[in-house]
Amino acid sequence: MSKRKISRRAFIGEASCAALGSMTLYNSLVNLGMMTTAATRPHIISTPSDYKAVVCILLAGGADSFNFIVPTETSEYAQYVATRGSLALSNSATPPQLLPLNYNNNGRTFSIHAGMSAVQNMFNTGKLSFVTNIGTLIEPIANKTEYNSGMKKVPLGLYSHSDQIMQWQTSVPQSRSAVGVAGRMADILQDMNSIPEAAMNISLAGKNRWQSGNETNEFSISNSSTAATIGYSNYSSGLSNAVYLNDRKNKALDSLAAQQYANLFHKTIGDLNVTTSESIEVFKVAMSNLVSLTTTFSATNLSNDLKKIAELIKVRSFLGAQRQTFFVSYGGWDHHDDVINNQNVMLPIVSNALNEFNNAMTELGMQDNVVTFTISDFARTLTSNGNGSDHAWGGNSMIMGGPIDGGNIFGEFPSLSLTSPLNLSNRGLLIPTTSVDEFYAEIALWFGVSPNDLSYILPNICNFYSPTCPAPVPSGFMPIGMFS
Amino acid sequence: MSKNFVLIIYLLCTVALAAQPDTLTIGFGEYHGVMVSASSSHNYPPETTLKQDGYLPNLNASSRFLGQATLGYNMEDLQEVSEMGIEDWIDSQFVKPIPFSLKNKVKDYHNFVKTATNTPAAGQIYRMWSYAWWQYHMASADVLRQRVAMALSELFVVSDKSAFGGNSYALSSYYDVMLNNAFTNYRDLMEDVTFHPAMGVYLTFLNNPKSNPATNQFPDENYARELMQLFTIGTSKLNMDGSYVLGTNGQPIQTYNNTDIAEFAKVFTGLSWADRTTFNRSAANDTSYTLPMIMFNSSHETGVKNLLNGFVVPNRVPTDGIADIQDAISNLFNHSNTPPFVAKFLIQRLVTSNPSPDYIERVANVFVNNGQGVRGDMKAIIKAILLDPEAKSCKSGNDVEYGALREPFVRYVQINKAFDASTASGNYRNDMDYVYRFVQQKPLTSPSVFNFFQQEYQPIGPIEEADLVGPEFQITNAQTIMGYVNSLYRFVIQENVADEYDLYTNEDDATYANEVSTIDLNDEVLLTDNNKLHILLDRLNLLLAQGRLTAPSLAIIKNVVTELPNGTATEKRDRVRLAIYLIMSSPEYLINR
Repeated sequence: MSKRKISRRAFIGEASCAALGSMTLYNSLVNLGMMTTAATRPHIISTPSDYKAVVCILLAGGADSFNFIVPTETSEYAQYVATRGSLALSNSATPPQLLPLNYNNNGRTFSIHAGMSAVQNMFNTGKLSFVTNIGTLIEPIANKTEYNSGMKKVPLGLYSHSDQIMQWQTSVPQSRSAVGVAGRMADILQDMNSIPEAAMNISLAGKNRWQSGNETNEFSISNSSTAATIGYSNYSSGLSNAVYLNDRKNKALDSLAAQQYANLFHKTIGDLNVTTSESIEVFKVAMSNLVSLTTTFSATNLSNDLKKIAELIKVRSFLGAQRQTFFVSYGGWDHHDDVINNQNVMLPIVSNALNEFNNAMTELGMQDNVVTFTISDFARTLTSNGNGSDHAWGGNSMIMGGPIDGGNIFGEFPSLSLTSPLNLSNRGLLIPTTSVDEFYAEIALWFGVSPNDLSYILPNICNFYSPTCPAPVPSGFMPIGMFS
Repeated sequence: MSKNFVLIIYLLCTVALAAQPDTLTIGFGEYHGVMVSASSSHNYPPETTLKQDGYLPNLNASSRFLGQATLGYNMEDLQEVSEMGIEDWIDSQFVKPIPFSLKNKVKDYHNFVKTATNTPAAGQIYRMWSYAWWQYHMASADVLRQRVAMALSELFVVSDKSAFGGNSYALSSYYDVMLNNAFTNYRDLMEDVTFHPAMGVYLTFLNNPKSNPATNQFPDENYARELMQLFTIGTSKLNMDGSYVLGTNGQPIQTYNNTDIAEFAKVFTGLSWADRTTFNRSAANDTSYTLPMIMFNSSHETGVKNLLNGFVVPNRVPTDGIADIQDAISNLFNHSNTPPFVAKFLIQRLVTSNPSPDYIERVANVFVNNGQGVRGDMKAIIKAILLDPEAKSCKSGNDVEYGALREPFVRYVQINKAFDASTASGNYRNDMDYVYRFVQQKPLTSPSVFNFFQQEYQPIGPIEEADLVGPEFQITNAQTIMGYVNSLYRFVIQENVADEYDLYTNEDDATYANEVSTIDLNDEVLLTDNNKLHILLDRLNLLLAQGRLTAPSLAIIKNVVTELPNGTATEKRDRVRLAIYLIMSSPEYLINR
């Protein structure tokens, strides 16, 4: 196998060349007791006790998540109906359009979209929570007056798909950065995994910003990939010396890729080809060791994606994995048109897939080791454009798994009145009251990132806990409180 | 200059190759600014050899040029460019007619099925669109138009991942807009796209009603936003060279805000199906998609609309939605961002991922004025892109930042073109399903309006570290990298080059057999003996990779090909197939530069 341009060891060693101090990068590893064992770790480790995985489900297109969860206290519901007009879900229709959540916070009550009965059940049994009015921010913005003052930094390209879908993945809304949150986590934590060729970040949706690091790439796999189908197509055994020829052919492919190239484009595609070839060898072996799950999954693409993830978690020891992130994209949420009918079809798909994945984690005994959440470009305008809605800002996410304080509604569920100080226009665009940074900070800390490395993962995080920056992360930092 | 043969010096850019007699690999193919010297009494009339800049491109240069200007080409095409010269070739392409419309081809297939099955009510199927596209691209000579149209289809994106996904009339007639306008004017293109129902449905402004404040209902902002962000001006103010105009805070300046979008959204209200007499109806039938949308003024937002740069659409009485739309299109067409925005996009699609600011500016200036006072002249823009020194100079051979990853679908077309894929009947039916499954790209199948990849995408590693972009890398991941190599196995080593299917159940088998594509390797199989392999590789290097594969790569390939037996005709063919497979897998082929 050829050597990468920058090995993982070299990266750790050269960290002092980066903008941050070299010691911070060591912290996560030292904290986890990794540095002493890194050099001697065997290739296949026994199933580690502290395995952790994070699963990100991107609802691509900007889901109208103010119809995922709806306030049902009498006056709040009336406000919801008044603002949303033709898009409002009925609280009294038969069959029901809303399902009640087992939740009451000083009289504030909520229901969820009737397509999500499995989510209702998981919420009510403490396996899942909502995070409300969350969105991209560089720093907190209290209200419309502050927003219009010009004194607050505002994310680039608000309301634009390409910018907001990227910023939800990079958490750096002031720049069009190529690097994402899970990618930076992998930069720091990849060494916890014992097989360098098996990426910590695995995508069921191809290239994505979330999993692109400064030093690490995602490994992309399809939900139809199996041990038999993954890898180079080869001459059939009908050919007399097929085994030998295939070996020669595939080595030639690898040699072409691994040559030293001066041109940056040659180098980039060459490196990608080499990495792919190396990774696939490892994944092929891992997948050949898979014993099927007993949990059944629906025949949807999203369920099949999550099934593949569950399978990869099951064979994690063959990937040498103690830390993994997974990325899934379920597109088609850009409902400028026909939002009600579309959500009626799409939300059951999400709800069932989440439930099935949760069942699979329970089957594997991994329910306390895996956290799953949804993100989207943005929420949509509270007001209607006829029978759809347009691009807005703050929205609602779901987060699931044993480590989560389930059955909760985190963040501050906003007033849906168009006169709310958070609303920026007559269309109903809400300034988020919880930042993507705070959300990822809790996940990263749970995942094993040292507080001292948090500013590498989330360059703006200080803005959300200190009036002057930089400043150390407060002890026990849990701005949302999602982890119980 | 009257006399005689002009010797063309084309060794200026020669790479350090191991000396190989018989080799065709003689340089990167500079075809700009090459000195013309010497003369002899050879009896070539000067006009056949002395073209535009005073020289003719060598074959490598022709290959390089055709790699920019077409989706694929064969040896005869290379010869043609070498003999005609670049500019004359472009001019000859501009006058090539459109042989048929994709829409009518779909109609033919549809009628064929109706007749053959004696089922007048038989519906169209998605496959008809794929077949029409492939028939056009395999059988038509307007190859420059084909290349530009595909680039435009990645700018004005609609996709089968949409409400009209299976409708061959929608997809074919929309692609006709790209083919029809490849050589017209950018404004014509904007207009035809805006009124096409496929776009109307895709970006949800077909049946977009005027506002109703009583119910908090406002116009749909979808098309208003993407027309500006993706099709014309982008989100930040641009200088003519494509760089950002910076504000006093050193940051880019937004070209529009959300209020502007709401104003444009008002303009794009009231459009609906041309074969309906009332607003807000569904499509009357499959072919509704072939008729430009019409305006229902009673559903069009009245009042003034404040567009960009102080332009105000007047409060027209009576309401005239079409005039409002024409105003909005003009407002954006005349915006100072549009020339550099479009120039950069098209350069990136045809030539290189990171054009210099000067290159962008040169093309943008031609967008502004074609030399005769016309703005948006596509022919002039295309010429400016392809004849620019930066497209032609061999400096790219040493410039480590120069190049573009070839789009995977274009590589696929190239196989079919380079090796003259043909069928017994002359009818090409290719569903293009396999290539899509392997590499996640085929025309009009983008996952969203943001195309298969975004122009500013930066793959991590050396390209990103140099602050450059590599758009096509966005669809280059472990799945598609392996998928591409395995697609070569299917298309080349197994010679399963196209996916033919029946158009209706129990279609005559003879039809199927006559429409199976085969590739022609007759010239190549003559060169498989060990002592001729280097000639084979040089030929393939020229044909596929404009001679860019270097000696070490060719040596790797030759060593493996030599391992295969070379006795029977099949064995000889296997050698050729493996050589193509390896060349087309190599980084030096994959990067077009």
